[in-house]
Amino acid sequence: MNWWCSATGAEWTWQWQPYPGVWLFVLSLVAGYGAVRWRLLRAHPSRNWPGWRTALFLVGTVLLWLATDWPLGTLGAGYLLSAHTAQYLLLALMGPALVLLGFPGWAAEAAWNARAGRLLRGLVRPVPSLLAFNAILFVTHVPSVVDGLMPSQLGSLAIDLSWIVGGLWLWWPALAPERAGGLSPMGRIGYLFASTVPPTIPAAFLTFADYPLYGLYELAPRVGLSAHDDQQLAGLLMKFGADPVIWLAMAVIFFRWQAAITPPDSAAAESPAPAPGVSV
Amino acid sequence: MRDRIYGFTIIRGAAAALAVLAWACGNAEEKVDKPLSPSGLMGVEIPKPRPKPDFTLTTTEGKPFSFRRDTEGYLTLLFFGYTHCPDVCPIHMANIAAVLRKLPPSMSERVRVVMVTTDPARDTPPVLRSWLDHFDRSFIGLVGTEQALYAAEETAGVMPSMPDQPDSAGDYTIGHAAQVTAFTTDNMARAVYPSGIRQRDWAHDIPVLLALGDKKKS
Repeated sequence: MNWWCSATGAEWTWQWQPYPGVWLFVLSLVAGYGAVRWRLLRAHPSRNWPGWRTALFLVGTVLLWLATDWPLGTLGAGYLLSAHTAQYLLLALMGPALVLLGFPGWAAEAAWNARAGRLLRGLVRPVPSLLAFNAILFVTHVPSVVDGLMPSQLGSLAIDLSWIVGGLWLWWPALAPERAGGLSPMGRIGYLFASTVPPTIPAAFLTFADYPLYGLYELAPRVGLSAHDDQQLAGLLMKFGADPVIWLAMAVIFFRWQAAITPPDSAAAESPAPAPGVSV
Repeated sequence: MRDRIYGFTIIRGAAAALAVLAWACGNAEEKVDKPLSPSGLMGVEIPKPRPKPDFTLTTTEGKPFSFRRDTEGYLTLLFFGYTHCPDVCPIHMANIAAVLRKLPPSMSERVRVVMVTTDPARDTPPVLRSWLDHFDRSFIGLVGTEQALYAAEETAGVMPSMPDQPDSAGDYTIGHAAQVTAFTTDNMARAVYPSGIRQRDWAHDIPVLLALGDKKKS
């Protein structure tokens, strides 16, 4: 029984494989969210927790689940670097953003101001967040790290979890209210733009390398693509799959900010301005 | 104050990690991570080079192919495998083909890749040709009877191939030597390349093997 996807070297098959560790992980995320929601609403009975927030959290959790379970998790762990990169997009970018958006601004403020939020206040700042995310990105794409960790379930789990933690770390300053460590709207846009630059380096290495960088994927039983084409696709995905996600977030921030600063008489005809500092 | 210390620590750590890892990624492609042989090869060098074997099988075009005579003057990579092989065979063929495509013609045109099928029952000449063409149309495929195959394996000094028990669907795998043997242009077996050998290893070794053969001939 494999608890988490890892590289096995076995011939690829489309036969479904169970990964109970992934299910436990996803269930614990949902249970944790439910528990936090229940406790915060009990502590702040006058506050509202919109249903769409819960929906966003669930969509984010589904993305994390899809990225770690069969077939994408299996393909990414031991067969295709492009699938591994698709996992990265889901685990480090899309999933964490939606998970964070699953919490109302007041809940983020409560976490930020709580005694246990001290670590959060120390670590989640724009520059450290940006550097930490990119350090995680770089470390988890170093060939010896990938080749060394992916064949073991714990190693593969470590890479997946580091992407999720890195993603939450990256997105917090861009999505949290200003009173909870979030940036100003222009700051968010600049921060997100800056986050698109460093991944260009590993993406370029993958796209333009003459030979496969990872022994794991080069020597894996082939699933359609040659090792070289697979690596090129991975490099393109890392850049052109990730950037639109960031651009979309920048666009939403920009238009919501514009709506918020539009004079009230003209804004009234469109939509109510968001409360200051409320996340995207 | 403590928050600021946290921040500086993270910044320093992350910056150091970025610098080290950018270097690591940049060097990954050319990195030599195992000891080179006495001749500077990434493959396993044969301590006492042995002469190129002399056996004759049939090409996928139906013509007789004398291994020794018809590869004379070429760096020859000999492999015994089969087209239904799930792992080693396609990986070897794909990796060699990928490297030959990137080498200058002055080198790649001096290399002959010869694959002898260990599965004469399923690998008919058209099947083998089609499979090899998927990698490189210049690869030479050889077929023969079981007796001729065993004789060629014995002459080449590789482990004899052995079919496993068929499964319920009648499919079977074949245990066979997983290494590619490299014969330099002086007709001597100089190195073997086991499964796990990578494209960057081939890219490193093919020029070395060509030079080594030329040096020995002269």
